[in-house]
Amino acid sequence: MNKLSSYSIRDIHKAYRDKTLNPRCLIDQCLDRANKTKELNAFITLTPQVAHEQSLRCQERLQSSKKLNLLEGISVCLKDNFCTENIRTTCASNMLKNFTPTYNATIYSKLMMAGACLVGKTNLDEFAMGSGTVDSIYGPSRNPWCYNDNWRIAGGSSGGSAVAVSSGSSVVAIGSDTGGSTRNPAALCGIVGLKPTYGLVSRYGLIPLVNSMDVPGVFAKNVDDAAITLNCIAGPDDLDSTTIKSAFKPISIKEDFDISNLNIGIPKEYHCKDMSIEVIECWQFVTDLLEKLCKVSCVSLPHTSVSIAVYSILNQCEVASNMSRYDGLEYGLRAKTNYSTEELYATTRSQGFNNVVRSRIFGGNYFLLRQNYEKYFLKAQKLRRLISDDFENVFNGDNKVDLLLTPTTLSDAPLYSDFTAKNNRDQCALQDYCTQPANMAGIPAISIPVKLSKNKLPLSLQLMGPALSEELLLNVAKKIEALVNFPVLEFNQYLNKN
Amino acid sequence: MSFRSSALVRRRIYLHRIFYNCFRYYCKVPITPVATLESDNIPKPNIDINTVALLERLSLVRFDTEQGVKVLEDSIEFANKILHINTDNVQPLYTVLENQSLSLHIDAVTQGNCQKDILKNAVITEDDYFVAPPGNIPLHEIEEKESDIQRNENRN
Amino acid sequence: MRSKFLYKYLKLHKRYSSQIAKKWQSVVGLEVHAQLNTESKLFSGAQNTFGGLVNNCVSLFDAAIPGTLPVLNRKCVELGVLAALAFSCRVNEVSTFDRKHYFYADLPAGYQITQQRAPLANDGVINFQVYTPGVHKKPYNKSSMIKQIQLEQDSGKSLHDIELKQSLVDLNRAGAPLIEIVFEPDLEDGEEAAALVKELVLIVQRLGVCSGRMEEGALRVDANVSIRREGDPLSTRTEIKNIGSVRGVASAVRYEIDRQQSVLENGGNIINETRMWDAAAKVTVPMRDKEVVQDYRYMPEPNLPPLRVNLTTREDTQDIISVPLISDRIPELPAVSRAKLIENHDLRPEIAIQLVNEPALFDFFNNLMNKKRNPTKVANLLLNDLLTVLNRRKIDVNNCTISVEQLDELTDMVLQKKINLDICRSVLEEIIGNRKSPFAIVDEKGWSLVTDSKEITEQCKRVFDDNPKLVKQYRDGKVKVLRALLGILSKTSDNKLDMSVASKIMEELLRK
Repeated sequence: MNKLSSYSIRDIHKAYRDKTLNPRCLIDQCLDRANKTKELNAFITLTPQVAHEQSLRCQERLQSSKKLNLLEGISVCLKDNFCTENIRTTCASNMLKNFTPTYNATIYSKLMMAGACLVGKTNLDEFAMGSGTVDSIYGPSRNPWCYNDNWRIAGGSSGGSAVAVSSGSSVVAIGSDTGGSTRNPAALCGIVGLKPTYGLVSRYGLIPLVNSMDVPGVFAKNVDDAAITLNCIAGPDDLDSTTIKSAFKPISIKEDFDISNLNIGIPKEYHCKDMSIEVIECWQFVTDLLEKLCKVSCVSLPHTSVSIAVYSILNQCEVASNMSRYDGLEYGLRAKTNYSTEELYATTRSQGFNNVVRSRIFGGNYFLLRQNYEKYFLKAQKLRRLISDDFENVFNGDNKVDLLLTPTTLSDAPLYSDFTAKNNRDQCALQDYCTQPANMAGIPAISIPVKLSKNKLPLSLQLMGPALSEELLLNVAKKIEALVNFPVLEFNQYLNKN
Repeated sequence: MSFRSSALVRRRIYLHRIFYNCFRYYCKVPITPVATLESDNIPKPNIDINTVALLERLSLVRFDTEQGVKVLEDSIEFANKILHINTDNVQPLYTVLENQSLSLHIDAVTQGNCQKDILKNAVITEDDYFVAPPGNIPLHEIEEKESDIQRNENRN
Repeated sequence: MRSKFLYKYLKLHKRYSSQIAKKWQSVVGLEVHAQLNTESKLFSGAQNTFGGLVNNCVSLFDAAIPGTLPVLNRKCVELGVLAALAFSCRVNEVSTFDRKHYFYADLPAGYQITQQRAPLANDGVINFQVYTPGVHKKPYNKSSMIKQIQLEQDSGKSLHDIELKQSLVDLNRAGAPLIEIVFEPDLEDGEEAAALVKELVLIVQRLGVCSGRMEEGALRVDANVSIRREGDPLSTRTEIKNIGSVRGVASAVRYEIDRQQSVLENGGNIINETRMWDAAAKVTVPMRDKEVVQDYRYMPEPNLPPLRVNLTTREDTQDIISVPLISDRIPELPAVSRAKLIENHDLRPEIAIQLVNEPALFDFFNNLMNKKRNPTKVANLLLNDLLTVLNRRKIDVNNCTISVEQLDELTDMVLQKKINLDICRSVLEEIIGNRKSPFAIVDEKGWSLVTDSKEITEQCKRVFDDNPKLVKQYRDGKVKVLRALLGILSKTSDNKLDMSVASKIMEELLRK
C-alpha cells in the first residue's frame, strides 16, 4: 500500500476501474498518512469529515457513470489562505485564527465540482509572507527528505502543501505563488510545482498577498497530475476581474511531443553569486540533456539582478494596503480595549500580526508616503516594466526562444537552524531570486525535480514560458521528467527516522 | 604504431570533449556569476522619530521599537540599491493585464441579503450592528495619556 | 464653547470693519458626491438602497471579507459617462482605479476605491444662473469649470452613541456607487455655490443619474473656502464637509467666509482643516480636535485592470461601452429648457428659472401649454396658486398627486374665467389626493362664475337699487365709486360673477 504514494492520478483511476481501490479507501490512506506524519506539520486543519462525505459521493458516481472527471475521488488539500465555507481559514495568523468563511474560493468550488476530496488545509508562513514555512503560528513545516532531528525546511510559503504531497497525504495540492511560494517548496520537497500565467486561475477566495502577482499554484508528484489539476481550476471567473477572459482550452500532454524544433533559452543572469555549485551542475546537466534533443541558446534578461529589490518594494506596498482591512470589527481577532477606534485597531493589529507582517506594513506605508511615492513606488513599477520587457524580448524579439530553463532555488533545502539565523528579508532575497521575476511578468513557470544532491536532497529546475504557454511548458517539463527519472520519496525514509 | 595512434586519437577525443564542454558551458550555463546591477554604494538610511510616529499612526501597528526601526531602515537600504537605474520614459506597470479591458457586471441584485453571513465572524455585534469604540482620537493621544498615567504613578 | 468664541470674533469684526483698507475677496470651490441611481453597488451585486434592514444589503466584498474581489457595475460607468457628457467633459478612453487609505470604522477595507490618477472624465463646465428671490434683483450668469469626474465607493454609516461611548456601524451604504465631481475654485460666495448645487441637482435628476435628494444624502457637497484681500495671495483654505441642503451650502459658505475674515482681521491664522456644517446651530465646527497630517497613500487598485470605453463608434459590447450611444441619451438640459421658455413663451427669466427649478411644475407647464394658452398666466397659476396650496399643506411639489388632466380642466376654467383665482385655490384644495374632476367640483359646489350678461345686468340693477347714493355720486362725475359698487356686487354675488364682464356691464348701465 505504500506504493500508493507514487501512484499518478491515472494509476488511481485505473485502480478504481479495476476495483482494486475505491475513493473512500484512498482518502483513509491519505488521512492515515497525514496522522502518521504529524511531526512534519503539513496541516493546520485536517478535514476528515468533508473528505469522507465527498469520497462517498464519488463512490456513487463511480458506480453510476462511465466517463469520470479525472479528479473524481482524488485527494487534494488547500493552502490555508484559500477560503472554504464552514472550514476555518487562518492564514497561519493570530489575526484569522477564529475566521470561518461563509463562502468558497472559486478554485475550491471547481475542485469539488470535479469530485476532488479535501483532506485538509495546509500550513504556510503567516499571510504567505515568507519562503520557508517557518513563520506560522502553528509552527514550521518540516521537509520529509532526510528527516531527522537536524531537519530541513520545506520551503515556502506554501510549504504545508508541498509536504502533504511529497509525503503522500494528498495526491495533489493547491498553494499560492506570489514570488515563488509554490515553486520554491516544490523544488525543496522534490515534487512538481506549477505557477500558471497570471489571470489564468481565479484568485477569488484567495486571501491576497500581492494582488498583482498572486496566482494559485499546483503541487503534484508528476507533470501529468499537475496538468489534470490545472485543467480543472483554470478559466475565466466573473468574480475576479483579473482573470483572462478568453475561454481556457484544456491542456493535453502528448507522449510523443516533439521538441526538436524548440529553442530553449539559458538566461545567464540567473547564475548569481550565492548559487550553490550543485545547483549549477544540475542546471548544466539538464541543459546538456536538452541540447541533444533541441536547440539551446544563451540569452540575457538584463534586469534580473534588481528584480528581487523591486519585488520587495512592491510587495511591501501591496501588503500595507491589503492588511489595512484587518481591524477586528467585522472579523478576525479583536483586542480587548475600547478607548478609541484607533487604539482598538492598533492593539488588534499588533497582537494579530507577527513581526514580519508588521514590518512589511511599516515599510510599505513608508514607500507610499506622498514624498516617497515617486522615488520608490513609481520607480519600482517602472522597473517592473523593464523586467517584464526583458521577458517580452527573449520570447518575441530577435533570436527568440520558446522557453527558459533556470534553477528554481539557489541551493537544496537549508537546515532549519541555518535558515532561521537569517532575517525574513534575507531569507526571501535568497529563496525567491530565481522565481519572482516570473511573477513580475505574470508568465507561467514550473519547477521540476531533477536529481538528489550530495545530502540526498532534491535539486530542481524551473522552466518559464511566455504568457499562456502552459501547454508547451508542461509538455517540455514532462520530457525532462522522463529524462531525469527523479526518485520517489519512500515512506519509511521519514517514518522510521530512528 | 597503431596502438600509439589510437591512444592519440582517444586523447584527442577526450580533450575535444573537455574543450567542447567548457566552451558549451561558458556559452549556455555561465560558469561564473553575472555581475549584479544593484548598487552597493548605499549610505545607511536614518529614519527620524517623527517619521516613525507618522508611520505608526498611518499603519496603526505598534512598531516603534529599536528592532522595528532597524528592520525598516534595512528595508529602505535594500530598496535604495535600485534607485540609480535609469527609468526615463518608462511607463509604470501596475498590472500585467493592462491591455485587457475591465470586466463589467450587469446592474442587478445578485448578492447581499445575507446579514447572518456578514455578522457571523464579528466578535462583538449589537442589534445587528458592528460595534466600534469612539473614533477620531489620534493614536499618540493615547500614548500621551498612558505616559501621563505612568508619570502620575511614578509620582506616587 | 467654540461657537461662542466665534460670535465674539464676529462682534469684533463688526467693530473694526470700518478700518479695513482693502476689500476682502473670497474663493469657493466645490466637490460634490452624487449617489448613482442603480439597482446594485459599484463593485458588488448587493442592493443599492436607502434604508433597509441593518447590514443586510451588504455583499461579502462590501464587508471587506478577505479574498473577495471587486467587479465594476456597468450601469455606474454609463451614468458616470452620461453625467460627464452633460457637463461637456472629455471622457477618457482609459481610466483607472486607485485605493485611498484611511482608517475609519465605517470603511471596512481600510481604503476607498476611487479614481485619482486617471478619472472617468476631465475638463467640463457647468453654466448656471444665480438668482435668489430677496437677495438678487435679477438673475446673472455664472459658470464653474469641472476638473474631473470620478467613480468611487461610498462608506458605511456610523451611529455615534455618546453615552455608551461607542459607534454602531451599518454597512448597507458601504460600496454604494458615487460620482465625485470636482469643481475649480471659480465661485465667490455662498449664493453662487448654492445656485451651482441647485443647477447640478436639476441636471443629475434630468439625466436620471442621481435622485438628487440631498435630505437623504444622495447628493452631498464639500466646499473649499479661502479668502484674501484684493491683490494679496489666498489664505489657507478650509474644507467644509457633507453639507446636506442647497440653502445649507449658501449658509455654510457665508458663515465660513465671515469666520475666516474675522480670524484674519484679529491677527489670527487660518489652519488647513476639515470642518463640519452644523445645520441646527448654523456654524461650521472643526471635525478633528487636532490638526493631523493626512497622507492617503494612494496606490493603483491592482484588482481592476484599466476601464476602457469606445469614444468613436456606436459599437457597444458587454465590457466596452459606446460613448456616442450614451450621448444619444442626453435629454434636454435645464439651461435649454429655460431658454425655450423665454423664447417660445415669452416668459420673464425669473419665471423661467423658477419653473425649471421645480421639475414637476415644469412638466405641468409643458403639458398645459399643449393647448394654446397664455403662458404667463399658466406659469403664475403653477408658481403662485399651486405652490401656495401645496406649501400650506406641506406637500413637496415633486410628490404632488394632482394629475395633468385635473390641472388641465382647472386651467381652462381659470383662463375662460369660469372661476376666479380664489375659487381656483379652493378647487386645488379639493383635488389633492384624489382623482375628482375640477369641473364636477365647481359644478357640485356651484362655484362657477356667472358670465351671462342678462343675469349680471339684473344683479347690477339690484346693487343700484340698494345703493342709490353711490349711483348718484357716479353720475355726478365721481367715477371712482365704480370700484365700490363693483366690490358690493362681488360680495353680494358670493364671488361668483366674472368681474371683468360685470365691470363692463355696470359701467354701461351707469352711463345710461
